[in-house]
Amino acid sequence: MTSTVLSPQPPASWRHYFSFSTDAKVIGIQYIVVAFFFFLVAGLLAMIIRGELLTPAADLVDRTVYNGLYTMHGTIMLFLFIFPVLNGLNNLLIPTMIGAPDMAFPRLNAAAFWMVPIFGILLIASFFVPSGPATSGWWSYPPVSLQNPLGQLISGEFLWVLAVALSGISSILGAVNFVTTILRMRAPGMGFFRMPVFCWTALAAQSLQLIGLPALTGGAVMLLMDLTLGTSFYRPEGGGDPVLYQHFFWFYSHPAVYVIILPVFGIFSELFPVYSRKPLFGYVYVALASFIIVALGLIVWVHHMFPSGVAQWMRNLFMVTTMLIAVPTGVKVFAWLGTMWRGKIRLTTPMLFCIGGLFNFVFAGITGVMLATVPVDIHVSNTYFVVGHFHYVIYGAAVMGIFAAIYHWFPKFTGRMPYEGLGKLHFVLTFLGANLNFLPMHPLGLMGMPRRVSSYDPEFAFWNVLASLGAFLLGVSIIPFLLNMISSWARGPRATHNPWNAIGLEWLLPSPPPEDNFGEHVPTVISPPYGYGKNEPLVEHQAEIERALTLAEANR
Amino acid sequence: MTTTPLPPANPSATHEGGHHANHNLTGFIIFLCSESVIFLAFFSGYAILRGSALNWLPPGVEGLEWRMPLLNTIVLVSSSLTMVAAEHFKAKEKLGLFRAFWLLTMAMGAYFLYGQAVEWGGLKFGLTSGTFGATFYLLTGFHGLHVATGVLLMGLMLVKSFIPGNYNGGEEGVKATSLFWHFVDVIWIILFALLYVWRT
Amino acid sequence: MSSSSPDRRLGGVSLIALAVWIGLVVAISIWMAGQAQHWLPVQASNAAPLVDGLFRFETGVGTFVFLGVISVMAWTMLVHRAEKYDESDAEPIEGNTRLEVIWTVIPLVLVMAIAWYAIQVNTELGVLGPMEHIHPLNAQEERGGYPTDRLPPEQVDVIARQWSWEFGYPGRNVSSTELHLELDRPVTFRLVSEDVLHGFYIPAFRLKQDVIPGRAIDFTLTPTRLGRYRLRDSQFSGTWFAANQADVVVESAEEHASWLKQGAAAPLQSGLSPAANEYAERQTAGRSGWPTVVPAPPPQVNVPGSSSLPHDA
Repeated sequence: MTSTVLSPQPPASWRHYFSFSTDAKVIGIQYIVVAFFFFLVAGLLAMIIRGELLTPAADLVDRTVYNGLYTMHGTIMLFLFIFPVLNGLNNLLIPTMIGAPDMAFPRLNAAAFWMVPIFGILLIASFFVPSGPATSGWWSYPPVSLQNPLGQLISGEFLWVLAVALSGISSILGAVNFVTTILRMRAPGMGFFRMPVFCWTALAAQSLQLIGLPALTGGAVMLLMDLTLGTSFYRPEGGGDPVLYQHFFWFYSHPAVYVIILPVFGIFSELFPVYSRKPLFGYVYVALASFIIVALGLIVWVHHMFPSGVAQWMRNLFMVTTMLIAVPTGVKVFAWLGTMWRGKIRLTTPMLFCIGGLFNFVFAGITGVMLATVPVDIHVSNTYFVVGHFHYVIYGAAVMGIFAAIYHWFPKFTGRMPYEGLGKLHFVLTFLGANLNFLPMHPLGLMGMPRRVSSYDPEFAFWNVLASLGAFLLGVSIIPFLLNMISSWARGPRATHNPWNAIGLEWLLPSPPPEDNFGEHVPTVISPPYGYGKNEPLVEHQAEIERALTLAEANR
Repeated sequence: MTTTPLPPANPSATHEGGHHANHNLTGFIIFLCSESVIFLAFFSGYAILRGSALNWLPPGVEGLEWRMPLLNTIVLVSSSLTMVAAEHFKAKEKLGLFRAFWLLTMAMGAYFLYGQAVEWGGLKFGLTSGTFGATFYLLTGFHGLHVATGVLLMGLMLVKSFIPGNYNGGEEGVKATSLFWHFVDVIWIILFALLYVWRT
Repeated sequence: MSSSSPDRRLGGVSLIALAVWIGLVVAISIWMAGQAQHWLPVQASNAAPLVDGLFRFETGVGTFVFLGVISVMAWTMLVHRAEKYDESDAEPIEGNTRLEVIWTVIPLVLVMAIAWYAIQVNTELGVLGPMEHIHPLNAQEERGGYPTDRLPPEQVDVIARQWSWEFGYPGRNVSSTELHLELDRPVTFRLVSEDVLHGFYIPAFRLKQDVIPGRAIDFTLTPTRLGRYRLRDSQFSGTWFAANQADVVVESAEEHASWLKQGAAAPLQSGLSPAANEYAERQTAGRSGWPTVVPAPPPQVNVPGSSSLPHDA
C-alpha cells in the first residue's frame, strides 16, 4: 500500500473552479466565491441606501431607484449570498465530517450550483430592462408588486419572480442531496449521536428547505400568473386575496431564517469546543434542540402578519408559539457558555467571530421576544426596529459565524494558513461597524420611522447619521477580509492537516484533502465527538493515520 | 520512502454500485415529499379562496360537469393497479408481461391526459374567469403536467427495459417511477374531491 | 463523567461578590426599563400606556438576561484563558443534566409569563372590531371614568391611496387631508384602500392596521392627549410610499365641533398630496428614474390642512 492517498494534494488548478466539476469541495468553493461576489454587489447597494438616508430628503437618487435598491439589496443578500454561502459550507464540510467521498448525487450538486450564477444574472439584468428592477421589497407583496406601469412582459418583477423560483429549485435539489448524504453516507461507527453538530443543524435546516420552499414556489407561481396571465389569485377586483400571498410567503420565509441561523448554530457548536479545549456542553441536547427549532419554526409564520387583519385568536396563538422558540435556542446559547466555562480559551480570529456573533445574537434574541408580543409588534412592525432586529441576527450573528467558519476551515480546504493579524482587524471593524449600523435602528423604530422609506421626518436624522457611519465602517471592514483571503490562498504558509489541534474526521485528512477524501479507507468512528481532555482516539488506527499525515507533510 | 499501514479498505464504504443506486431512491422519495407540499399549498389556496368567496361561480357557470372527470378518475386509479401488476410480473422476472402491463398503464395515463384536454376544451370559463377559473386551471394543469411527466418517465423505463443487463445495478428507476405514479394518483383523488365533489 | 466537580463550591467572598453583581444587574435592568419610556413617542391614546408598560417590562427583563449572559461570557474570557504556551486540553466536562433542566424550565416559565402578560394587554387593546373600554384601574377610573366614555364613537372614513390620505366625517359632510380628532372621545376608523396595501400607523397612538384593498376594516381607539401627531403609511405602497404621511390633530371638544362646522361650509379644493407635487416636478424637470405608477390626483376636500407644522410625535 502506498501512502499517496494520505499525502496533501497540490492545490487544484484555478481552472478547476470555473468548470462543471462534480467534486463537492470544488463546488463548495464555487458557491462561496460566487456568494461573496454578490455580497459585494448587495453591499454596494446598501452603501447607496445609507448614503440616501444620511439626510431626511430623498435627494441622492430618484425614489424609484431607491425602491429598486432596497429591494435588490435584500433579494441579493438572501438568495445570492446567504443561502449559497451556506450551501458552500455544506459542500465542504458534510462529506469530510462524515467520512464520505463526496455528496450522494455529485452531478445534481453541480447542477444546483450552476443555477446560482444563472439566476444571479437574471436579477442583475433586471436593472437594465426598461421597467427597471423589482421595487416592492424582497417580499414582493401584491397588489403593489403586480403594478406594471409599462405593461411589458419582461419587467423587473417578472425577472425577480423567475429568479426566486430558480433559486427555490436550486435549493430544493441541494437539500435532497444534503439530506440523503447525511442520512446514508456516514462513516462506520458514526451513529447519529456521534455525528458533529454541524451535520445535525444542516440536516435540520435542509429539512426546513424541503418543507417550506414548495409553499413559496406555489405562492410565487400564482403571483407570476397574476402578473403575466391576468389571473386574480391576489387581486381583490377579481375576487382574489392579497393576504393569501402573505401566508404562502411567510410559511416559507419564516423557516428560512432558521435555515440561515441553524448552520451558524452548528458552526458555533463546532468552534467553541476547539478554542476552549473542552467538549461541547450537553451535545445531545444541542443536537436535539435543532429539531425542536424545526418543528416550532414551522408554526410561527403569522407573527409577520400581526397588523394584517388576521383574527385575534390567530395573533395570540402565533405569539405563544413564537415565544416558545426562545427555549431550545436558549439551550444552545447556554451550552456554548458552558463549553467556554472553565475551558482554556484562545482568542483566535475564529473564536473572536464566534464570541462577537454570540453577543449580537443574544441581543437580537431579546428584541425578537419583544417582537413576538403582539401589542409591541403592532407598534414597531414595519419600522426600523424590525430592520435593526434582523440585521443583528443576519449580519451580527450569521455573517460573523460564517466568517468564523471560513477562517477556521480555510487551512483545511486551501492548504494555507490565513493571516491572523488581518483576521483580527477584520473582526474589530466588523463588530464595531455592525453595532454602530444596527443599534440606532431600534430607537428609530420605536419613535415610529417606517422601513423602506426613501425620505423621513427631520427628527429621525440623528440616529440615521450614526447608522450610516456604521454602514460605511462595515464597507471598509470587508477590505482586510478580501486581502487576507486572496494573499493567504496565493502565498500563505502551508497548513498541516490539523493546525488547530481539533477533533473531527475532517482533521484526519490532508490539507487540502484528495478528491475522494478518505476514498476506500474510511476510518471507523469509535467515540462521540468533541472528546477534548479525554485522551481517547476518535477513530480506529488514529495514531497510524496521524503518523502517515505528519510524515507526508514533512516530506513535501 | 517508507510506507505506513493504512486502515484497511472498508467494504461498506464503497461508493460504487449498490450504495449509489440505493441513494437514488432515497433522494427521490425525499424529493417527492417536498413536491407534495407545493400541491398542499395550491390546495389550501383553493380552499381559502373558495371558502371566503361571496360569489364563487363566475356568471354563466352553474358548476362543473363531473361524469367525464369521474371516468377519468376511474381510469387513473386503475392505472395504479395495472402498474402494481406490472411490478409483480417484473419481480417474477416475466419481462414480457411486465412490459405489457407497463404499456397499458402508460396508455391509461395518456387517456387521462386526453380526457383532461377534452374537458378543458368544452369548458365555458377561462383562466381569467375570477378565482374559480384561475384555481381550476392551475390545479388541473399542474397535476396534468405531473401525469405527462409520469408517462414520459414510464416511456423511458420501458425503453431501458430492453437493454440487456439493465437491472443488474438494481431497479430503482422502476421503483421511483411507480412511486411517482402512485403519488400523482393520490394527488388526483384529493383534487377530484376538492374540485368536483365539494358542493357549495 | 459529566458533572462539575463538587469541591469547587463558591467561597464566602465570591458569593458576596456574585450577589453584589446580580444586585447591580437588577438595578441596571430596572433603570433601563424606566429609560425605555424615553425611547417611545409621547402617549397620545388610551392604548399607549398598555403597550408602553409591556415594552418597559420586556426591556427590564431583556436587560437582565442580556447582562447576565454577557457577564458570564466576559468572565470566562478574562478568567478562563489558556496560558500563553499551554496547548493542552481543559477538563472534559461534557454536560450537567440538572443544569440543562434548569436552563430549559426557567426560560420556558419566563417566556410563558411574558406571553400571558402580553395576551392580557392584547385582549385589552382588542384592536380589531370595536374596542371595549377596559381601562386599567387608575385615578381617572375611580373618579368616574373618562368623561366621554359613554359617548358613541365618532365615525371617520379613511381612504388610503397612492399616495394620499383622505378623511371623511360621514353625516357631518366634512372631508379633509388632515385628521382631526376629539380629545378623550373614542373614534372608529373605517379603513379602505382604493388601490394597493397601505398601513395606517400613528406612532403616538401605538396602533397600526394594514389597509387592505377589497375590504373595509373597522378600527377603534381613543386619543388622550392634545397635540399634533404624524400618521405614516407603514405598508410599502410604491414610489411615493415614504411621502404618504398626514398630520393628526387632537383637539378639545369645542375646537373639534367648530372645525367640523367650518369645514362643512368650506368649498371643495385640492387636498394635500406631496406625491402629486413631486410627480409634477419630476415630469417638468425631466429627471430620470424608472417608470412609475402615476399618483392619484389630490383628493378634493373641504379642509386640506397642513403637513409642515411641527408635530409632537
